[in-house]
Amino acid sequence: MDLLQLGSYTFSSRLILGTGKFSNSTVMLDAVRASGAQLVTVALRRFNREQSEDDLFGPLLTLEGITLMPNTSGASTAAEAVRAAHIARELSGSPFIKVEIHPNPQHLMPDPIETFEASRILAKEGFLVMPYIAADPVLAKRLEEVGCASVMPLGSAIGSGQGLATSEMLNIIIRESGIPVIVDAGLRSPSEAAHAMEMGCAAVLVNSAVAAAGNPPAMAEAFAEAVVAGRKAIRAGLMEKSGSAVATSPLTFLGTL
Amino acid sequence: MQALPEWLTDNRETGTLATLLSPASTRPLEALAAESRAITMRRFGRTMTLYAPLYLSNYCSSGCAYCGFASDRKTPRRRLEPDDIRRELDALKKLGISDILLLTGERTAAADFDYLQRSVAIAAEKMQKVSVEAFPMSIAEYKTLADCGCTGITIYQETYNRERYEALHRWGPKKDFIDRLETPARALEGGIKSVGLGVLLGLSDPVEDAMSLYRHIRYLGRTYWRAGMSLSFPRMRPQTGGYESPFPVDDHLLARMIFAFRIALPDTELVLSTRESATFRDGMAGLGITRMSIESRTTVGGYYDNEEATDKTTKENSDQGQFEICDDRTAKEFCAALRSQNIVPIFKNWEPVYNGPSLSLKS
Repeated sequence: MDLLQLGSYTFSSRLILGTGKFSNSTVMLDAVRASGAQLVTVALRRFNREQSEDDLFGPLLTLEGITLMPNTSGASTAAEAVRAAHIARELSGSPFIKVEIHPNPQHLMPDPIETFEASRILAKEGFLVMPYIAADPVLAKRLEEVGCASVMPLGSAIGSGQGLATSEMLNIIIRESGIPVIVDAGLRSPSEAAHAMEMGCAAVLVNSAVAAAGNPPAMAEAFAEAVVAGRKAIRAGLMEKSGSAVATSPLTFLGTL
Repeated sequence: MQALPEWLTDNRETGTLATLLSPASTRPLEALAAESRAITMRRFGRTMTLYAPLYLSNYCSSGCAYCGFASDRKTPRRRLEPDDIRRELDALKKLGISDILLLTGERTAAADFDYLQRSVAIAAEKMQKVSVEAFPMSIAEYKTLADCGCTGITIYQETYNRERYEALHRWGPKKDFIDRLETPARALEGGIKSVGLGVLLGLSDPVEDAMSLYRHIRYLGRTYWRAGMSLSFPRMRPQTGGYESPFPVDDHLLARMIFAFRIALPDTELVLSTRESATFRDGMAGLGITRMSIESRTTVGGYYDNEEATDKTTKENSDQGQFEICDDRTAKEFCAALRSQNIVPIFKNWEPVYNGPSLSLKS
C-alpha cells in the first residue's frame, strides 16, 4: 500500500487540510470529512478553552481517524514557537508540530533563521517537526539534517492563489530531499495539487482554496481526487516531455562503439 | 517650526491609491468592492476578528476641539480603579471577549503612565490580547508596556494637515504635530508588536488625509519590517462638545476609501468600529474590513454598570461618552448577523505565549 510516512506515523491520505478561514466550524468539519484528510492543522491561537463556540480544537476532536497537527502561527521568534509547541502538545497530545514563524504578522512569510532554530530544538525534544518554509533547497536540507519529519515549502504566498510559482526551487527540493516534501500554501485549484503530486511531492496542504471556495466540502473532495490522481500519475511513470529526454539503458550500447 | 519628515511628501508608492480615490476615477464602486472582497477572502477568509474597547479614564489634558472628553468639557471625570477594571474585564469575559483595547485621555496626574502600566498588567492577567489607545509615550515607556503584556498601540494622527491639526488641538501636549507623527515609530522601537493608525474623517480633506495615512503606513512598513499594522476609518460622530464637521464624509466615500486601502494594502488589518451603523458594518463585513469592535461603551465603567448597576449616581456619572456609538447591538446579535452572512466571528486569535520578550523590532 502506498502510504505517506511521517516519523513512525503512516497515512493513506496525502491531502492535509488547514482549518482557518472557514465561515463556521460545521462547514470546516464537513470539508475535513469530504477531503478524507487524516492529518489536519490547527493554530494554537485558535484553541479557545473558555468559549466553545469560538474554539477550533474541540470540534476537531469529534472527528474519527484524524491526527491533529497544531501549528505555531502567531509566533515571531524561535523561542515563542518552542513555547507554543510545548503548550500545543500538552493540550492536544499530538506529537506533530507545524513550525510556522512569521516575523511579520501580515506577510506571513516564514523566517528561515528562526524556523531552523525552533525546528532543531523541537526535533531534539522528540516532536515530529513539520516546518513551513520558503522554497529554499539549502534550508530544506539543513532541516532534514536536524531531524525534521518533513519540509513544507510554499508553492506561493499564503492566500495568494498563485499556485506553484516556486516550482523551479520545489523541483530541486524534491529531487534532493530524503524526507517527505509537502507543498504548503498558495494553491488555488485541484489541478495545481495534482501537478504538485506529479512533481513528486509526498503530500499537499490546502486551506484558503477550500475555505474560500463557493462550496468548501465539494472543493475539498475535488482536491482529494486531484491528489490521488497526481500520486497515481507519478507512480505510473509520466511520459517524457519533448526536450527533457535523458540517456537511459537503450542508449548504453553507444558506449561500446 | 520643526520640519516635516521626508516620507510625508514621498509620492513614490501612492499611485494605486491616488487613482482609486481620485474624484475623476471612473471605476464604479461595485467594481472596487468586488476586487476588495476577493482580496479579503483570499487573505483573511470568511473571518472577522473581534475586540472590545475599555475606557479606563476620561481625565484629559488636551483641548481637541472635536472631542467629548477635552479638558474644557463639563463631563464628569472618572477613572477605573484596579477592582473596577477587574470587574469590567470579567463582564467582558462573560461576553466572550478576549481581545481588549484600553483607552485613556491625554496624560494627566489622575491617569498617568504608572496608572496605565498597572491597568495593562491587570488586563494581561485576564485577556489574551491587550492593546492600548492612550497618549504618546517614550520608547522606554513603550518597552515597559510591552513587558507588561501590551502587544498593540493605536494612535491616530487625527489629521495629517498640519494647519488644521494645530487649529483643532487648542492646547496640551497633543498640540505637537511632529511628536504625534513620530509616536508609532517610538512604539515599535520599544518592542510593541503592532500599531493601529488612522485619521478622524471629517476634520480635514479626507482624500488628502488618506494619502498621507498611506505614506505613513508604508514608511513604517519599510522601516519596521516586523511590525503588524492596522488601519481604522473613524468618522466624526456627534459628541459632547457639539463640534460640527467641516468635511463630512458620506457612506459612498467611506466605502470607496475602505476598498481602495484593501486593494493597495492587501495584508493590512482594516478596522471598523461601532461608530458606524449596523447596516454599514454588516455591509462592509467581508468586503474589506477584517476587524471590528463589539459591545462598545464609550463611557468609563460602561460594561459592569450596564450589566448590574442599580446605583443611580454611577449611571449618571457615566452617561456622557466620548462620542455616540451607532451600532449598539449586543455581541450575540452582532455575531448572529455576521454568521448569517457566512462570516465567522473570531474572539480569540492570539496566544499570550507569543508576547515574547520585548525586543526592538527594527534590528
